[in-house]
Amino acid sequence: MSEMVGKLFGWVNSRLPVSNTFERHLSKHPVPSKVNFWYLFGALASVVLIIQIVSGIWLIMPYSNTEEEAFASIEYIMRDVDYGWVIRYMHTTGASMFFAVVYLHMFRGLLYGSYQKPKELVWIFGCTIYLAMMAEGFLGYVLPYGQMSYWGAQVIISLFGAIPYIGESLELWIRGDYYISGITVSRFFALHVVALPLVLIALVFLHLVALHEVGAGNPEGVDIEEHLDDDGVPLDSVPFFPYKVLNALVGIGVFMTVFAIIMFFFPEGGGYFIEMANFEEANPLVTPEHIAPVWYYSPYYAMLRAVPDKLGGLIVMGSAVAILFVVPWLDKSKVASIRYKGIYSKVALALFGISFITLGYLGTVSVTEVRKTMSVICTVIYFAFFLLMPIYTKYEKTLEVPERL
Amino acid sequence: MQEKDNTRRKVLIGLTSAVGLSGIPFAATPFIAAWNPSAKAKAAGASVKLDVSKMQYGQQIQVAWRKQPVFVVRHTKESLENIDSALPKLADPNSDQIEEPYKGQNPTRSKSSEYTVMVGVCTHLGCSPKYHPEVEPKPWDASWAGGFFCPCHGSMFDMVGRVYKGVPAPTNLPVPPHFFDGSILTIGEDRGTA
Amino acid sequence: MIKKQSNILNIKLSKFLVAIGLLVSINGIDAAEGGPCKDYGECDEFKYSLNDMASLQRGASTFLNYCYGCHSLQYSRWGRVSKDLQIPEEIFFDNLVFDKSIKPGDLMIGSMSKEQSAQWFGVAPPDLTLVSRVRGDDWIYSYLRAYYEDSSKQYGVNNLVYPGTAMPNVLMALQGNQKLVCKDVPVIAKNGGEKRDDFGNTITKEKCGYLKVDVGSGELNKEEFDSLIYDLTNFLVYVGEPAKAERERMGWYVIFYFLIFTALSALLYREYHKDYHK
Repeated sequence: MSEMVGKLFGWVNSRLPVSNTFERHLSKHPVPSKVNFWYLFGALASVVLIIQIVSGIWLIMPYSNTEEEAFASIEYIMRDVDYGWVIRYMHTTGASMFFAVVYLHMFRGLLYGSYQKPKELVWIFGCTIYLAMMAEGFLGYVLPYGQMSYWGAQVIISLFGAIPYIGESLELWIRGDYYISGITVSRFFALHVVALPLVLIALVFLHLVALHEVGAGNPEGVDIEEHLDDDGVPLDSVPFFPYKVLNALVGIGVFMTVFAIIMFFFPEGGGYFIEMANFEEANPLVTPEHIAPVWYYSPYYAMLRAVPDKLGGLIVMGSAVAILFVVPWLDKSKVASIRYKGIYSKVALALFGISFITLGYLGTVSVTEVRKTMSVICTVIYFAFFLLMPIYTKYEKTLEVPERL
Repeated sequence: MQEKDNTRRKVLIGLTSAVGLSGIPFAATPFIAAWNPSAKAKAAGASVKLDVSKMQYGQQIQVAWRKQPVFVVRHTKESLENIDSALPKLADPNSDQIEEPYKGQNPTRSKSSEYTVMVGVCTHLGCSPKYHPEVEPKPWDASWAGGFFCPCHGSMFDMVGRVYKGVPAPTNLPVPPHFFDGSILTIGEDRGTA
Repeated sequence: MIKKQSNILNIKLSKFLVAIGLLVSINGIDAAEGGPCKDYGECDEFKYSLNDMASLQRGASTFLNYCYGCHSLQYSRWGRVSKDLQIPEEIFFDNLVFDKSIKPGDLMIGSMSKEQSAQWFGVAPPDLTLVSRVRGDDWIYSYLRAYYEDSSKQYGVNNLVYPGTAMPNVLMALQGNQKLVCKDVPVIAKNGGEKRDDFGNTITKEKCGYLKVDVGSGELNKEEFDSLIYDLTNFLVYVGEPAKAERERMGWYVIFYFLIFTALSALLYREYHKDYHK
């Protein structure tokens, strides 16, 4: 019996690089032996991706993408479909958790210089994933066709109207109607469930391939490839399986506990994960008193509101995301990790973190004079962090990086 | 020492895998359950009511219950008397092979002595048989005693939906739950008096 | 190394504190804007109890008797309500369902046409299936108790929570005549206590905008009426999300499961960790 299995495996293996791939990317793939919890969020992001894909497929089945039925079909899922509420809350919680882990994952990158040579492509693929996720999340939020779906989409689509000359016709073209109608919803549906998931999966694949080519980083910023044993395996490494996998398992356990707490006890997240106004069907004639995006877009929304010009706001918002892509070339530091960088980098990163969180908060509340000023200040800090990076990373005093982990 | 270490390791691997794997059925439950008929489908598939007193003798009508054809036949006196005329040709005249809800109550197989209620879906491959009440030679049976004939694969049933021998259909046409409240027939629900 | 670590910790800590400080200060501005309960001030806090079947049943009965004439629950099904609230179907349909042609699987789509009701009230009475999720339970609980006499309005009543509401006070016979009154209230000193004069007497000041029911004008006293509204709000919370009680019940098991899983995998990880960190 086992001989037959062995034979079959041999037959497949000589035609498909099964054991080769398994060894190279799992069982013998060397990862740094000393990393901290910041290095878990990548694995967690892939867990959420799987949750989103599976729950998403199951939501497609009872969902109806017409103007008349979209909203009612969500309530149909929540009430009439057996355990439909489990699947829907899984998906809504998953959306927020996806952004949460990706934000932490990206912050890890800034903290330990995970974009530095030779990992520029890993970073760029990552930023593209983030961009695709933002589009994916936006399109998905329109589908329930509640008040927030409608007016959120109204605001975002109107942004395209800021583009000179083609703006207005572009808006009309995106909607395919004179308002956000069933026509718009059904095209967003197609993009949300087919097109963007394909793009996301392809990008995640590239992100991982590029990562495995250059090797994972560590919080010390030490290049483990410098010290190899006789077999050419880095001395400061452990095989991915089982060590890294077991490590990730603990992280997944903790993460899923948090996930379950939110999903079963706070699925609306106090109105930040599912906004209250979205329990009311879209009404093109009545704007809700207070429009705020879901929390994961709110920093950019605050930036948009900080600029008193339509096109300017769009440019600022776009640049805020675009600037992430060039970070590998903005950082001129000799060291990767914040542990060995100078005081300027530390202060800059701290200020950046604070201003991003503050912007996030400001984006969810209504505008006042004070808040507007704060948004401006935080937006300036946000951009200063990146634009001044070539200066403060080049001229600050760094610490000596150790040879080994 | 080394031996002891390995035991601990093995026990932990076993426990972790067992807990991990035991979660899979629970995680799968909502996804499997979500394919059950929803409350909406169940509501749409609830009982249907009709007044059968206006039916002519010998008439067959078709009503949709759960979007499936259900046949209601009001038998003539003759056909009631000759209800067992095709008996030797029947495969399962007493409906022993299927779950018959009102077995032995009436020769009509229903809760009424005059009407037959049956699901009009051939037990072979799901076509809907046609009603041929005439007692006369037919292309498919030279000594046809009246009943249902399925145009798809030639299965034959008698006037109360009992299957003939030697046809592809394996069992009699099933009788749905029903009850009569005076002349009001309710299909899909079973309560009240016959 | 240790020093460096503590340095990082310091930065983290200070960052955290500054962030908290910022958020708190902005929140302070937020509160001054006026909350969702408008003239009523802070909404009264509502704590649902979805396992209290008696409360939900009373709430359902109040809703069907007083509200369902105008307000539908269009995403909810009759049979589901009777099942979830543990009301035997026969009792439910005999006593609470007034249209005898209704089947358990039917949606509670209401009995009033939208056009007709819009004519009567100026606006069509909204569907209330999701009202507890749109407005929040605190809001409903406050709103239904915040009607007061105001002869300038069409139905002679106004509402502190929803000024200018189009809905008449349907429960007035039960509640009685509620009016806006003024009363003397203690002046609060800067330290948070009551301000006293030199003789130790509390200093008071007349303030207006308090709700007060004419004693004996309603069928129910204040406690009874509040409890009626509690049950009604509780029912609306249930209708807003019928799976809520089950969700919270199930959540404990899932969390328990993941805690065990985490503990075991942590032990296993520690076991393997020994291989390379002796």
